[in-house]
Amino acid sequence: MTFFKRFLVLFISGAIQVFFATYLLLELLGLSLGWHLAYHNIMFVPGILIFLGSGYLTVSYYFFSDEKANNSLYDEFTAVRYYKLGAAGYAINGIGIFILYSIQDWSNWNFELANNMIYQIAAFAWLVFGVLMVWFSMGDYKESKSG
Amino acid sequence: MGKSHEKLLNNLEGLRKGAGLTQQELSESAEVSRKSINAIENGVYVPSTVLALKIARTLNCSVEGLFRLP
Repeated sequence: MTFFKRFLVLFISGAIQVFFATYLLLELLGLSLGWHLAYHNIMFVPGILIFLGSGYLTVSYYFFSDEKANNSLYDEFTAVRYYKLGAAGYAINGIGIFILYSIQDWSNWNFELANNMIYQIAAFAWLVFGVLMVWFSMGDYKESKSG
Repeated sequence: MGKSHEKLLNNLEGLRKGAGLTQQELSESAEVSRKSINAIENGVYVPSTVLALKIARTLNCSVEGLFRLP
């Protein structure tokens, strides 16, 4: 495993999540782009990529990487980057959920609107997760170029 | 002292260059990424005790020789 390979895994998984989550969020907010996915089972792709990507990273850590590479890829500064992004994710999600609450039509509140809001929150959290993955991957890309 | 973190001054870059090591070579010896060494040198990151001791061992100096409080 190298920084560039990890960049590829995280960037591809993250960017595809950003695409699908943005599409879903816009649809749920009534801001459709004027086109629709013809084949909705394709929405499973981001989840499958995460499953395969995390599996690849785990297997490569234990079986296909030497100690020197692992020390470099999973050191304490990388952990700090991860924690900082996690904290940013909490903050962005908090702000986003506040905004999503604020824009609801509370005067005509019903089960359908409540259901829709839950989907909006889920889509937003999914979008944030994708953005954080892309953000984290950029650090790996920079390291792969300068390392 | 080189570039410093608000909580820690360091002289890592000077000592590393004095030992004739690149950031990559020091990182391999201290078992971290080159990025960590770069971040410490630039005062972006304060290392753990274990990492500080590993760096000091590699550079054959004391931790107090590498870092001091502002």
